[in-house]
Amino acid sequence: MGNVDRRRIYIKRATHISIQSPMSESWMREPRLTRESYVRSEDPQFREWLNPMESRRLSNILKRALVTAIKVKRDSGIEQPEAVITGTGLGCIENTELFLNQLCREGEELLKPTYFMQSTHNTVSSLIGINGKIHGYNSTYSHKGVSFDSALMDAIVQMRLGDINNALVTGNDEITPTYFSILKRSGYVGQEGQVPAGEASVAMMLTTDAEDTLCEIEDFKMVYRKENIGEDTLNTAGPVDAILMGLSGERSNDEAYRDIEGKLPKAPILRYKHLFGESYTASGLGVYAAAQMLKEGTVPAVMRVDGGEPIEGVRRIFVVNHSDGREYTFLTMRRAE
Amino acid sequence: MEELVLNLKKQIIEALNLADMTPEDIEDDAPLFGEGLGLDSIDALELIVMMEREYGIRIKDPSAGKEIFKSVNTMAEFVKANRTK
Amino acid sequence: MGEKIVITGAGIVSALGVGKGETAETLLAQRTGVGALQYLRTSHKEFPVGEVKLSDEEMKEMCGIAGEPTTRTSLMGILAMKEALEESGLTAESRPVLVSGTTVGGMDKSERYYLDYLENDSKNAYIRTHDCGATTELIADHFGIFTMVTSISTACSSAANAIELGANLIRSGQTEVAVVGGSECITKFHLNGFNSLMILDREQCRPFDGTRAGLNLGEGASYLVIETESSAKRRGVKIIGQLSGYGNACDAFHQTASSEDGEGAYLAMSKALRMAGLRPEDIDYVNAHGTGTPNNDASESEALKRVFGGRMPMVSSTKGLTGHTTSASGSIEATICLIALQGHFVPGNYGWKTPMESGITPVGENRTGQAMRHIMCNSFGFGGNDSSLIISEYGERG
Repeated sequence: MGNVDRRRIYIKRATHISIQSPMSESWMREPRLTRESYVRSEDPQFREWLNPMESRRLSNILKRALVTAIKVKRDSGIEQPEAVITGTGLGCIENTELFLNQLCREGEELLKPTYFMQSTHNTVSSLIGINGKIHGYNSTYSHKGVSFDSALMDAIVQMRLGDINNALVTGNDEITPTYFSILKRSGYVGQEGQVPAGEASVAMMLTTDAEDTLCEIEDFKMVYRKENIGEDTLNTAGPVDAILMGLSGERSNDEAYRDIEGKLPKAPILRYKHLFGESYTASGLGVYAAAQMLKEGTVPAVMRVDGGEPIEGVRRIFVVNHSDGREYTFLTMRRAE
Repeated sequence: MEELVLNLKKQIIEALNLADMTPEDIEDDAPLFGEGLGLDSIDALELIVMMEREYGIRIKDPSAGKEIFKSVNTMAEFVKANRTK
Repeated sequence: MGEKIVITGAGIVSALGVGKGETAETLLAQRTGVGALQYLRTSHKEFPVGEVKLSDEEMKEMCGIAGEPTTRTSLMGILAMKEALEESGLTAESRPVLVSGTTVGGMDKSERYYLDYLENDSKNAYIRTHDCGATTELIADHFGIFTMVTSISTACSSAANAIELGANLIRSGQTEVAVVGGSECITKFHLNGFNSLMILDREQCRPFDGTRAGLNLGEGASYLVIETESSAKRRGVKIIGQLSGYGNACDAFHQTASSEDGEGAYLAMSKALRMAGLRPEDIDYVNAHGTGTPNNDASESEALKRVFGGRMPMVSSTKGLTGHTTSASGSIEATICLIALQGHFVPGNYGWKTPMESGITPVGENRTGQAMRHIMCNSFGFGGNDSSLIISEYGERG
């Protein structure tokens, strides 16, 4: 990233709540595959993580965000990260809809303050801050399909600058049945041949400390409009074992990847949205999946687009994501040495 | 009065999402905020909405809630004296 | 901090007017933009608001936008950004990035059409304009010069955090030039939301006043062009100020209330001072967050006292003039700070009459003839997302 001293950045721990078994890597061996057009996340037993008095007001997205954050903090032994940064495309859409529904159907009186209070996008990151008494940097990105990527970029920039040494980066989106029907009308999900619309909560701890990590983040770029993707955008020096893309079976989404294939290094193409679903935070699950594959050194066959064999000894994965074919992100991840 | 107290408890449980509680868990005289049930300022706002919805009582000053919502008993007294429905 | 980050353009739209010129005039005249509700469709006519005095149609015409789906937030954003880009002479050649803050995004349309979204296909074009990112892209695409675009949503500190990310991208060498700020229109959604939290005043708001009883909502947009000093010199553009420090911290206290000791605000201001390499006594003026709610102003007063001790600089909140412009307030007030710096005046804290108990005493009337070097600008959001910026007079050596 530019001319700043290249401090190395690692993903120490990462976890998820999604269509796959929650907070587990069992998808690598026993992936859940579905033909539904809309699948809600499988939630863990929240009671094991949150006290009922504390969580009674919280919507699902907030419980998932808290639990994944708590698990990652605990597993990485970093209870007080120097930054908490979240990406969310739609924010707390369930509470937003509850408030909107009251507003549109019952009028402008007697509205529930809790719905409003928990409708704003930054509720997630600030709740993680409040829950853990974390006073450091705290921010929230909401930019469609690159919301998580933006949060990741913020963390990487601050770590490269030496402003912080670790950061809890999270991505959270939920889809209610009504919002699924709305997004289906817009053509974003629920289309013929498309992977299911899913929900996504992902949390990962980034550190500059090389000890005991899942993988290294070598390079990150974000580019608006494909005509701005230049020769210098892609760090393709050295061998790449696989390229992970957000292919979803939806025509315009997949075309946006094909449009830039010529600029990418040659390597087997992997996908993840058939396991984790389509959502504005899907790319966060892609980064999570890539980190776990690098840790294990294995790419399961189910990830390969060409139906080939599992890839063993995987060392370097290139992760490509885009939002509406307008904004692209490129992430180079490497097995930790 | 007894019926009012019971109704209030049910309404508190519903308005504040106290899913694990039953009316028996809330004592008539126990403090609702702080030490007692542990409610906070957002709960107070929810209770203000509930008072208007259920009893037609409009509380304009949020700080007035402190006295009114001391316990279920103080709420019942207030409702009895001010209800419009 | 390595190379200086300088400001070479600023644009503003708010209840005070369109553009820095009009804004400066209204500030100097202490003429409030807060008044009776005129444009928003709501039954809550009792709340005074600081609306931008233009309809969507009028703004569309000013922006040269015809039929396509748009949002009030993006229209205000385009108007403000146009001024900033023109002042800075910024073109695609500089390959600028855009970081924009908003929370309501396209909610003005969603709250009007939500039931249609659920029931028929008549308003589908607006479904994709709902989210924050869509609003930013509508603004970005109007100008078509940006090579990277993202949106920050930290409620009332969104625009301040956008300025912070833009500056970090510059410091890290990712870009030389960033356009940063925020835009937010008033919606029925958050007017009712703030009302449900009982923090709206039915009278003109009075930040830091003993009788303060809540805030008045406002709306608007403001963007700054920030870049490295060498980039500005190479481009041969006038430098109008310097972004010398910033800090972001979390109060980590409550979803909607600030802590009594103002810990988050204290940390944010302290970080900003540290980064700028300044002592508290170097700050000439603080443009406070000062919303007019009993809680914010007490908490912010406490934090200010912790930072500045007995040497309190001049402090005022300009929200009595603009209303609380929520996600846009960070950049709107940063631009007001630039106007104050250039015009050598401290805008008075409109609406203030009586001191509050153990609070700070703000500058009541305008103070003119103030040569200032460093101004601090505070923005605090729900959930304790607190940020503080320091804007300084530009000097070659300084």
